[in-house]
Amino acid sequence: MPSRANLLDRCLGAWTAAVLVFLYAPIAVLVAYSFNASRLNILWEGFTLRWYAAVWHDAPLVRATENSLVVAGAVTALSVGLGTTGAWLLYRYRFRGAAAIRTLVAIPMVMPEILMGVSLLVFFTLARFPLGFATVIIGHVTFCIPFVLSAVQARLEGMDPALEEAALDLGATPLRAFWHVILPFLAPAIAAGALMAATLSLDELIVTFFTTSSASTTLPIRIFGMAKVGLNPMLNALSAVFIATAVLFQVLIGRIRRPAP
Amino acid sequence: MSGTGPRAGSLAWLLLLPLLAWLAVFVIAPAAILFVYAFCEHDELGRVVYRFTFDNFHRVGERVYLTIFIRSVGYAAVTTALCLAAGFPAAWYIARRPAALRHRLLLLVMIPFWTSFLIRTYAWMTILKQDGLLNSLLESTGFTRHPIELLYTPGAVTIGLVYAYLPFMILPIYASAEKLDASLVEAAHDLGAGPLRVFAAVIIPLTWPGIAAGTLLVFVPAIGMFAITDLMGGARIPLIGNVIQNQFFQARDWPFGAALGVVFLLLFAAAYVLLQRPKPAAA
Amino acid sequence: MRLLVRAVLLLGVLACRLPGRDELNLFAWSEYVPQKVIDGFTKETGIEVNYETFASNEEMISKLVAGRGDYDLIQPSDYAAEALIRANLLAPLDPALLPNRRNLDPAFRHLPHDPADRYTVPYMSGTVGIVVNSAVVHDPVAGYADVFQPRYAGRIVVLNDNREMVSWALASLGLPPNEITPATLERARPVIARWVRLVKVFDSDSPKTALLNGDVDLGVVWSGEAAILWKQDRKFHYVLPKEGAHEFVDVLAIPVGSTHQAAAHRFIDYVLRPEVSKLISDEFPYTNPNAGARKLLAPDQLANPASYPAGGKLETFRDIGRMASDVDRLVTDVKSSQ
Repeated sequence: MPSRANLLDRCLGAWTAAVLVFLYAPIAVLVAYSFNASRLNILWEGFTLRWYAAVWHDAPLVRATENSLVVAGAVTALSVGLGTTGAWLLYRYRFRGAAAIRTLVAIPMVMPEILMGVSLLVFFTLARFPLGFATVIIGHVTFCIPFVLSAVQARLEGMDPALEEAALDLGATPLRAFWHVILPFLAPAIAAGALMAATLSLDELIVTFFTTSSASTTLPIRIFGMAKVGLNPMLNALSAVFIATAVLFQVLIGRIRRPAP
Repeated sequence: MSGTGPRAGSLAWLLLLPLLAWLAVFVIAPAAILFVYAFCEHDELGRVVYRFTFDNFHRVGERVYLTIFIRSVGYAAVTTALCLAAGFPAAWYIARRPAALRHRLLLLVMIPFWTSFLIRTYAWMTILKQDGLLNSLLESTGFTRHPIELLYTPGAVTIGLVYAYLPFMILPIYASAEKLDASLVEAAHDLGAGPLRVFAAVIIPLTWPGIAAGTLLVFVPAIGMFAITDLMGGARIPLIGNVIQNQFFQARDWPFGAALGVVFLLLFAAAYVLLQRPKPAAA
Repeated sequence: MRLLVRAVLLLGVLACRLPGRDELNLFAWSEYVPQKVIDGFTKETGIEVNYETFASNEEMISKLVAGRGDYDLIQPSDYAAEALIRANLLAPLDPALLPNRRNLDPAFRHLPHDPADRYTVPYMSGTVGIVVNSAVVHDPVAGYADVFQPRYAGRIVVLNDNREMVSWALASLGLPPNEITPATLERARPVIARWVRLVKVFDSDSPKTALLNGDVDLGVVWSGEAAILWKQDRKFHYVLPKEGAHEFVDVLAIPVGSTHQAAAHRFIDYVLRPEVSKLISDEFPYTNPNAGARKLLAPDQLANPASYPAGGKLETFRDIGRMASDVDRLVTDVKSSQ
């Protein structure tokens, strides 16, 4: 019945809006405080733009930000690659020990970060592998893979097998069927997995601490250290810039994808 | 459904090799190191001394640690349930929007989490503190006369936890719900089913993989979470994450930390393997 | 895809380290070595400083012994340095390369953790004491017993440091804070159990937040936090507990695995210059052990009661080795059974 469906739809819309308000409440506060004249970032003391200027001049902070972005990019790419192919192969074929493989993939997700960090550092030291970007990325990818694999697997579980069969019947090789039929179908799950991986990597602290060198210091490490002297509103300004860039980016995507009238 | 296909040939094994190699080197090897540590003694600095002992595992079973572990599981369970309740309707709604809007809404959901965790949490503290924004709002609208204690309460901790994990519930459910054929839902409506029946008999079963994935991705990491409870709750209540981390820092007892971790992982692995057993033939 | 390629290229470039370039791998507290000091050192000597950070002594020790033993300069606190010395992980310093050591105040020489000053050089010092929001708390608060009273229940913040709390409990019982044995721990247990019930917030990273927010009215915190509070608002008073207060001295030391010991010595000597040490005090209001630097400080820097507290029964922490585990177990148990 159209009207009942409409009412339900509108309620769900209101709920989603409420969720977004909840998600952005602290963001609104942190953006507001990025204009806070007080250095201590706890009490409001007046309006100023100087923190935005200060961000550009803090070379270590900018470098840490760059490092975080590079790491997140590499981590997303690698975990999407490994997670998607893994999910697909485990779904499509029967592997001996599949249950063990899936469990092993999921282990980093449950392992407390301190354990992961220390054991990776010990391992890298035994293997005489120098610390730096590579080791940080490896650590992140290891616990991001299960998130991607999980999301893709969930989508596969509900997939109609006829989808691939049809492609094969039409003469495609399994590889082409995968590339042209399965992968597009998996796109929403891959996107979800990629978003999760990027987010996890951008905010990771403990594993990074144990696997980093000074050259690959990431933003969370810098930020956590600042708590002792008082979180600088400069960090709020940086976060606000991040948000603004990301929101702008998705607006632009919307413009590009909109079909010509 | 999964794993019921043809047996993996050598090509399939070859394609799986990168993932297997990654697991062998970066999951099995470090886990093995921890496993060895768990059976060792420690020195003054906390480092491992290679002398065999069961003491660490005996300690894991002590009442204080069991209590802490159960409490951590409890927090994780409540968080998961609330994330499910709050996240499912939103994920469903987003999944049913037209394509362009879907992607933008998803990005909007994630963007807040590209800011630093510490900054976000301090922002929440600014909202919830004694003379913070929420209290000011409540007082100015006449709901309350005096500021109520919002911060450093279990309520604040819950808000913090749900906030941190909500996206990880929304995204997998979205991925599952997005492919749901709208005509199935319409058909159920047309057949006379009320909205509740449609929900229980059609929507839930079809989005179940997403719900299961979201539950896994929230519940499991949440058990080890302690940073949010420490910040929003004043670090009054130790959780298992605190205890394990302490062993490598203040308590200088790496082997005990490793033992706690090994037990943790074994419990998880056992539960996970059991959950993977194929369900009895359903719809 | 392109991002991946770029990331891999970046990895390759960064993995190649230019041979022969003199550098210094500094592993220090976050926000404890001002960028100005580092830049000044590099400009004068041409030595690149790779500044890695940690947020607690224990983090530093963990990373040092788990694998990264090749730092050139580390910044432990006194008891951590003592533990490292006992484990033979610190390299002896060459006095001939540190002429500026004479600038140090005599009170900071021959400290218990390193009586012969063979391995460490004091960097900055501080205390752990009581901070009171005098606008809200009008009764005198002079010691731990005054803080942990039922009338302040739910209005107290303390450091989230199990060893600290045990030492306060021992001091309040009239026992030496460094005498940590199973017997003394048992005596401390009921005291801590009583105290923990009154505390609203445990925070070692930024206890000033709760005080500034008005969520708590008094607490036992680092002097640096109290100094920042005092600079923000003079209503925050700082007092050293009369039962006995913990004085900490953060030091510079060279791990045995260091490959740039000469550069490390140069940095230490550089930091010991009064005008350089003053820069550190300008950024961080701790107690400066450099007598030469103190002469250069502004009057209101010296007037900050948290930076330069008067009197008090001060004692540094000694390393407690294996008892650290028992301390942790005690406080975890007490906190968990509330």
